[in-house]
Amino acid sequence: MQSWRRRKSLWLALSASWLLLVLLGGFSLLRLALPPRPRPGAPQGWPRWLDAELLQSFSQAGELPEDAASPQAPHGGSCNWGACFDTSKCRGDGLKVFVYPASGPISETHHRILASIEGSRFHTFSPAGACLLLLLSLDAQTGECSSMPLQWNRGRNHLVLRLHPAPCPKTFQLGQAMVAEASPTVDSFRPGFDVALPFLPEAHPLRGGAPGQLQQHSPQPGIALLALEEERGGWRTADTGSSACPWDARCEQDPGPGQTQHGETLPNATFCLISGHRPEAASRFLQALQVLAALQEMSPARVLALRQQTQFLWDAYFSSVEKVIHTTLEVIQDRIFGTSAHPSLLWNSPPGALLALSTFSTSPQDFPFYHLQQGSRPEGRFSALIWVGPPGQPPLKLIQAVAGSQHCAQILVLWSNERPLPSSWPETAMPLTVIDGRRKVSDRFFPYSTIRTDAILSLDARSSLSTSEVDFAFVVWQSFPERMVGFLTSSHFWDEAHGGWGYTAERTNEFSMVLTTAAFYHRYYHTLFTHSLPKALRTLADEAPTCVDVLMNFLVAAVTKLPPIKVPYGKQRQEAAPLASGGPGPRPKPQAPAPDCVNQIAAAFGHMPLLSSRLRLDPVLFKDPVSVQRKKYRSLEKP
Amino acid sequence: MSCASGPGGGLRYPLRCREPWDEECEKEAVCVIMCASVKYNIRGPALIPRMKTKHRIYYITLFSIVLLGLIATGMFQFWPHSIESSNDWNVEKRSVRDVPVVRLPADSPIPERGDLSCRMHTCFDVYRCGFNPKNKIKVYIYALKKYVDDFGVPVSNTISREYNELLTAISDSDYYTDDINRACLFVPSIDVLNQNTLRIKETAQALAQLSRWDRGTNHLLFNMLPGGPPDYNTALDVPRDRALLAGGGFSTWTYRQGYDVSIPVYSPLSAEVDLPEKGPGPRRYFLISSQVGLHPEYREDLEALQVKHGESVLVLDKCTNLSEGGLSIRKRCHKHQVFDYPQVLQEATFCVVLRGARLGQAMLSDVLQAGCVPVVIADSYILPFSEVLDWKRASVVVPEEKMSDVYSILQSIPQRQIEEMQRQARWFWEAYFQSIKAIALATLQIINDRIYPYAAISYEEWNDPPAVKWGSVSNPLFLPLIPPQSQGFTAIVLTYDRVESLFRVITEVSKVPSLSKLLVVWNNQNKNPPEDSLWPKIRVPLKVVRTAENKLSNRFFPYDEIETEAVLAIDDDIIMLTSDELQFGYEVWREFPDRLVGYPGRLHLWDHEMNKWKYESEWTNEVSMVLTGAAFYHKYFNYLYTYKMPGDIKNWVDAHMNCEDIAMNFLVANVTGKAVIKVTPRKKFKCPECTAIDGLSLDQTHMVERSECINKFASVFGTMPLKVVEHRADPVLYKDDFPEKLKSFPNIGSL
Repeated sequence: MQSWRRRKSLWLALSASWLLLVLLGGFSLLRLALPPRPRPGAPQGWPRWLDAELLQSFSQAGELPEDAASPQAPHGGSCNWGACFDTSKCRGDGLKVFVYPASGPISETHHRILASIEGSRFHTFSPAGACLLLLLSLDAQTGECSSMPLQWNRGRNHLVLRLHPAPCPKTFQLGQAMVAEASPTVDSFRPGFDVALPFLPEAHPLRGGAPGQLQQHSPQPGIALLALEEERGGWRTADTGSSACPWDARCEQDPGPGQTQHGETLPNATFCLISGHRPEAASRFLQALQVLAALQEMSPARVLALRQQTQFLWDAYFSSVEKVIHTTLEVIQDRIFGTSAHPSLLWNSPPGALLALSTFSTSPQDFPFYHLQQGSRPEGRFSALIWVGPPGQPPLKLIQAVAGSQHCAQILVLWSNERPLPSSWPETAMPLTVIDGRRKVSDRFFPYSTIRTDAILSLDARSSLSTSEVDFAFVVWQSFPERMVGFLTSSHFWDEAHGGWGYTAERTNEFSMVLTTAAFYHRYYHTLFTHSLPKALRTLADEAPTCVDVLMNFLVAAVTKLPPIKVPYGKQRQEAAPLASGGPGPRPKPQAPAPDCVNQIAAAFGHMPLLSSRLRLDPVLFKDPVSVQRKKYRSLEKP
Repeated sequence: MSCASGPGGGLRYPLRCREPWDEECEKEAVCVIMCASVKYNIRGPALIPRMKTKHRIYYITLFSIVLLGLIATGMFQFWPHSIESSNDWNVEKRSVRDVPVVRLPADSPIPERGDLSCRMHTCFDVYRCGFNPKNKIKVYIYALKKYVDDFGVPVSNTISREYNELLTAISDSDYYTDDINRACLFVPSIDVLNQNTLRIKETAQALAQLSRWDRGTNHLLFNMLPGGPPDYNTALDVPRDRALLAGGGFSTWTYRQGYDVSIPVYSPLSAEVDLPEKGPGPRRYFLISSQVGLHPEYREDLEALQVKHGESVLVLDKCTNLSEGGLSIRKRCHKHQVFDYPQVLQEATFCVVLRGARLGQAMLSDVLQAGCVPVVIADSYILPFSEVLDWKRASVVVPEEKMSDVYSILQSIPQRQIEEMQRQARWFWEAYFQSIKAIALATLQIINDRIYPYAAISYEEWNDPPAVKWGSVSNPLFLPLIPPQSQGFTAIVLTYDRVESLFRVITEVSKVPSLSKLLVVWNNQNKNPPEDSLWPKIRVPLKVVRTAENKLSNRFFPYDEIETEAVLAIDDDIIMLTSDELQFGYEVWREFPDRLVGYPGRLHLWDHEMNKWKYESEWTNEVSMVLTGAAFYHKYFNYLYTYKMPGDIKNWVDAHMNCEDIAMNFLVANVTGKAVIKVTPRKKFKCPECTAIDGLSLDQTHMVERSECINKFASVFGTMPLKVVEHRADPVLYKDDFPEKLKSFPNIGSL
């Protein structure tokens, strides 16, 4: 009985376990036996072929290099750079442009554009020596059309510049000429050959141009996200809050109050939707792509970057007719230069390609502007450039003070007066080079090839500085390599009474210029001064030597859009023997240049680039109530 | 289960199993199952000793069977599963030879030849792609078919190895969809990589009968070897109507700018040969030409160069006297000297890539792989991916008519630029040339960027090698701009419960002319802020924000109430700053809006003994940080602090209730690459480390904690971003011998 029971329980256990086995095992077996079915939902990808390894290559071994060659370049109907532009004429010093003189009476605008090109470094008066022949096709309103020019040669190496859509009938075939015009059509535009220009209003300023209106980096809270150009020239704004669908038909019939802004003023919005000449297409576009949703998703970092980039592009390339034309020429010059063209970084970050000359360098590290993007630092040494004007005393004390600086790499003396060169110079460990100048004040800012460091300490023979001052100023300059760092300052101001700019060298609570008779700056500014300033301005500086300071400050401010930096300067000398400025004869105070100087230069720049600063950079412990022994630049504080 | 109680905490040492069944206990999985049966055993221990040997054997057999069954089940359950998932469970295992055959009648329609005026806005239907939150296009791949004509003769090889790889890459990518109705881009599986392996008219007919062909709209074809003898067209000759063409060897005449994509000709050597990266710098040969099958005119020109410049130029040709023909593709010869190809390319600084019968050369890929700078002499050639890649950085393009000047052109390039190009060439190969997958994904990314331009990859992301991306800083506030003074600043006072001191701070700060709003961040959840009537009456709006938790990072939250760009962070006990000092601080910030502008300065130092960073608050000649107990900064940094702070720094700060200011200093310095500006002379400051704690030991504890923060943050950032400077900002006439009443900020530095 017991054994039967035992046997029964045994069988029960056995069969139960078999049942379990069959259930579990059978299920898996079933799965193995049946072909797998794809799981619903998971994408069924491209098959993994069993014989994938056996597939043949698309090109059989030997086929690639064994191709028979034909030396004829493929040809098509239109032009490209290689086929239609002859670069052999452009050897040497870059792009030289000849501008066809206007036939017959021309408008004021035309005249001034001609003058602007003639004043630029691109210009040449000889059509034979030119690499590019420029044909201005400007006067839309007068209806005057250019006729076929003399050296046309089927348009080879010609640029036809159309600032405004020309109503002129095509009097001659453009042929191989490049065309620079606004809004070219896709069909006629030859990429890499023609140049697309912005559409400029008639009243666009000729030079200078208003700086961008962006006053702050980030968008103001509460302003509309998007403004849409309307058919009759107004703007309609949409905010993030009203974005459920403000653009469907219903919304269009009933635009909310205050949503529409009329008139010429630009809307106060973060983004503007510009749709060419078909605003009605834009709203359809909006519906389809849900632009608003895309904009809302954009990260604040991106919005910030885009805002700033629009301003930079406007300031660098668009704000005046002159900039548009120079940009066009620069684009063409880059094509000619090939490997020594501007790298993309120089085009796309401040101050832009017009102010970062590729003839200076193509390595961003060589410029003062790109150290952050490049992860590089300016060089740790400077060259002192001492200008010796009349009466021509060798600046012995100054040389010793400068040579005492641990950062000094070399001293250059620019001898620029009637006296003969002295035969002996003070003994210093520092390499000393004497350059016999041409007695022009603008020579002070010539890019001498002997200057081998990034930083220049520009000095006048009568300046007086201590080694401590030089050391500290140089350390500050290393933090701000794109700015001028100086000791003595002056200011400009708007003179209501005369309706013009005024200039003062009085000590005030703010300043906008530093005197270049003692200032650190990057050697690149010598290149800019000599090669990018209009000739007229350099002549002005030569004729009125005190203007040269102002001119250099204008140049640096126009490039950096920042004020210069002032560092402390020993007080006693400031009163007794001030730094001399360029003119002849010792003076008790830096003489104010003729106020006209500021106004003339401002007129030539087309705007006032100078900015004021209210601060001075001092050593961290400057005049702090702590033991002098702890201070690194203690001699700066001597009474 | 009791099994899991081993010292390892897991199944690694199931102690109880090990003792009785030592030998069997080899695999962990087995152990688990045995454990289960042991447990069974334990439940009825009394029975077993009394059983007869026969029954015992019976029981043991039974349990063994059960055990075996369970093991087998386990194997079936888990083992096959893992095999199949690694081999793609969903995909049918088939051979290419088994694909369905489609017969194309001779009179089936042929697409239009191809519209040269096609652009994205005319020939591409963006509406199919729609707006999607991921900003990714959806790509569908047609199933593979074998096409035959009326006589059963195949139209082409069904599929090449490379095209199969290419479709696999697309299928494995995020772009892929198997839902034809949701797709925005269609990729036919008809292989047109090499025009010479297909019949043009029939292939066109095969394209036309694709289910969504619709004149080729939104269809993408990949072709690397276009044209055929004798005149070798530079684009695929197969009529394709509006289809996009990703082609190797486009010329300016056939390339539809902004519509087609120029791709590389894949070099099979990329996979076969491993050329280790060779650092930039001068190499044995200045210029090398290793192409075979060049036109005699070009070869003459090249040989003339060699004669003129001697050793530095090497012109190679195919080897005529080699016995093994099969390997000749990997050998090049100059006179009787034999060179290994492509290894020889690594010996040269510049490598000539001349136009052959076709514009696109697979050799370009070999040259880039060797880190040799390609000298492309092929007029009108559209370089691969030139829509996004900046070839000026990696190559030299020389017009064919200037070929004789090539040496002097190359010599005029500065050495630094050459090295930059060598690095760039190798990086282009690594990123965009080295595999079919890289080519396919770059092509899709380019099309994706056109359809979602607002989410497009930037120039830098396409072109900067990783080393450059790491080393450089892109300042979020890069535009030089001095914000107008009229905007003013918002003061944010963080407070807990020191109401009296808080009210004094509010009164003092409200005297600053440029203050435009005052925000009090009430960080005490247990206590209500004082009633409205008790607050000081000031001339600007005052808002109180209550926080949910007492966290230090609340001070840096980008509150909607902040309407100005400038923010003054100030502690509720900073009552010693004069109105002149604060106003001057704001003026300084306007001139440096991308920096932290603050009052007490601090320094980080490297402790050579301890080999780590140290925090310094003594009277030093340098500063690298400012305390945010009183500091001006741009409100964008609040956003960065709250949402973009790397690693666990934010939590660390809130947990330690310390170092939020150091974290902010790190963040700003890291993102801008710039130093702080300390303003005005040092004064006796009420700051955490100088007042809150009396006695030296606590003070030291505080310093140790702060040092720890610096070390922690430096390790999270992976670098030390702080910049050390030796200057501070003072008013222009500070301490000058000048009448005080004429100075703008006379009350500076008073104690």
